[in-house]
Amino acid sequence: MNPGTLVSPDLELILYATAMGLITIGLAGLVLSRHLFRMVLALAIAEAGANLMLVLAGYRWDAVAPILMSLGQPPRMVDPVPQAMVLTAIVIGVGVQALAISMLIRIRQRYGTLERGEVAERMDAEIATTAGIPRDVSQEGPLGERPLPPIPGSTAQTRGGDA
Amino acid sequence: MSGMIVLPIVLPLLGAFLLPVLMRASLGLGLWIGPAILVYGCWILGSQWYGGATLPFSLAIGGFAPPLGINLYVDQLALLFAFATQLLGLLFWPFKLDAETPRRQALMLLLVAASTGLALSGDLFNLYVFYELVAVATFGLVAASATGAAYAATIRYLILSGIGSVLTLLGITLIYNQAGTLNLAHLAQLAPERLDNSLGLSAFLAILIGVGVKAELFPVNTWVPEVYATAGSRLSAFLAGLVSKLAMLIILRLLVLVFHQPEAIQVMLVLGILGVVSGELAAWRAKDMRRMLAFSSIGQLGMIFIALAIPDGGGLLAVLALALHHLVIKSGLFMLADGWGGSLERLRGAAKASPLAAALFVLFSLSLIGMPPLPGFWAKFTLITELAAQNSPLYLIGLTVFLLSTVVEAAYLFRVAALLYRPADAETRPEQLPRPGGLALTTASLFGAGLLAATLFVTPLGDLLIHVSGQSGNAALYIDTVSPGIPGGSR
Repeated sequence: MNPGTLVSPDLELILYATAMGLITIGLAGLVLSRHLFRMVLALAIAEAGANLMLVLAGYRWDAVAPILMSLGQPPRMVDPVPQAMVLTAIVIGVGVQALAISMLIRIRQRYGTLERGEVAERMDAEIATTAGIPRDVSQEGPLGERPLPPIPGSTAQTRGGDA
Repeated sequence: MSGMIVLPIVLPLLGAFLLPVLMRASLGLGLWIGPAILVYGCWILGSQWYGGATLPFSLAIGGFAPPLGINLYVDQLALLFAFATQLLGLLFWPFKLDAETPRRQALMLLLVAASTGLALSGDLFNLYVFYELVAVATFGLVAASATGAAYAATIRYLILSGIGSVLTLLGITLIYNQAGTLNLAHLAQLAPERLDNSLGLSAFLAILIGVGVKAELFPVNTWVPEVYATAGSRLSAFLAGLVSKLAMLIILRLLVLVFHQPEAIQVMLVLGILGVVSGELAAWRAKDMRRMLAFSSIGQLGMIFIALAIPDGGGLLAVLALALHHLVIKSGLFMLADGWGGSLERLRGAAKASPLAAALFVLFSLSLIGMPPLPGFWAKFTLITELAAQNSPLYLIGLTVFLLSTVVEAAYLFRVAALLYRPADAETRPEQLPRPGGLALTTASLFGAGLLAATLFVTPLGDLLIHVSGQSGNAALYIDTVSPGIPGGSR
């Protein structure tokens, strides 16, 4: 809508730029990080950006929260709909992040690493072993089976046992 | 009673939260609750279809009329997919009994509730919430396999899905910024003046990519092969068969009602073509059954995206036919993969161990390729005629890719069929040959029977689909039915 009623258009611009910046940082982090935990953090940053954007969609600088209506007759109030929506979005985001972290713990227990490439390699190896097919190695890769490094630490004993 | 329509969403949701508690009190009773809820849901939706109410209708939730309140929009399309959700939820019910049963069944109920909500809701943000609910339930169910590979596949799916939800939220924000409403009918009224610009286009593209994660759209579908290879076959069947179609349904509604820019459908066409090419070629190269089916499902959904990209709702009939056809076929094939999972080489001579399963595989393959009397032929034929009627060269490329992909499909499916009927190695005894379990085979036979029934009654079925697609493509009818009060709609 028309933002002409805002007191400070500069501030609004800065906030919008921040929101877009957070989303960009988050997405760039997702592409660039090699560690799964960092990817989850990058996702959290991107979500924060999207949430900020959503709050900004309904905010007005010259208005009060719609819950304060009884304190007299304010001329304007902030659009409550985006605030309700952003609460929902935050709750969903936190839930998903918690789930992601618990997955990471399980992966760490099974594979002993959270490096993206190593996890993907171990996953491919496990799927191939379960299916009973030779592992899908790149045509350009070196010939012969390349063994996966052993799982470090004490997790090696628990690996097969509780599956 | 049109108000009954909320029950197929509310009851599974309620059941999902009560089930773990109930099962602790009495396991025997708890085991019956989930299926009972789903049967009741099927019955309600079926009775709505057969004269329970005049379709389409809109139901305001909580007594607030749209656009202030959230509404459910019930037309034949929504009802069809809601019914399919409950029915498939029942067919793919996780019967397995172990320590995780209460949690798995609760998550399945949650998945069914959210999927039904996706089919019925008429509000964009409400759709987003149900979409996230589907995602969370799916993560839990995939991870329930409790192998390292399942966890790794889940986290890959979770991260992609997270990117999708950020983009969807961004798109929703842009739309709200422009139009000040998220009710689909209200948006349809405001779209020509508020959203027919570059911001509207970017909003659509953000939502397309965001929702496309579940719909297995080309660049965001890298989760598909691993998840389908590690999750249980029944869950894979539900995800590939139904959930992907529900994501498609959101995009269909947005295209029919809100976004009419030619650029929007061109992007979708290109992504669809790329999906067909990448999916089918990868399926051709795949060496194990489940990943072959997963890649083939990417290709099939690419075809549906191509159909969706035909302008002015011309492709809706093809979309519907392809989607329902793929729903039946892929569910059946994944059920067969329950016993035939793993390397394709293992299947040598498997027809001897289970002739019925092999016959079903051949039947599904023929229909997927598009052999004339089977329904798959009519679905593909509709798309081909629609594509050939377009002038733009891009659509002709789509047509070419579509026809070539049929050849590739035939190559990889017949290769498996040939393996099935080849004599087994001399040293393998017949008992060692892989065969689908009794429950899986029964379910697959049901889908096979459905396919044959559709072949016999193809004319009335076609008329029905034409009616359904006509109704869903009618934006004016949607607006009139919901009639969101304020015409012009200022905030």
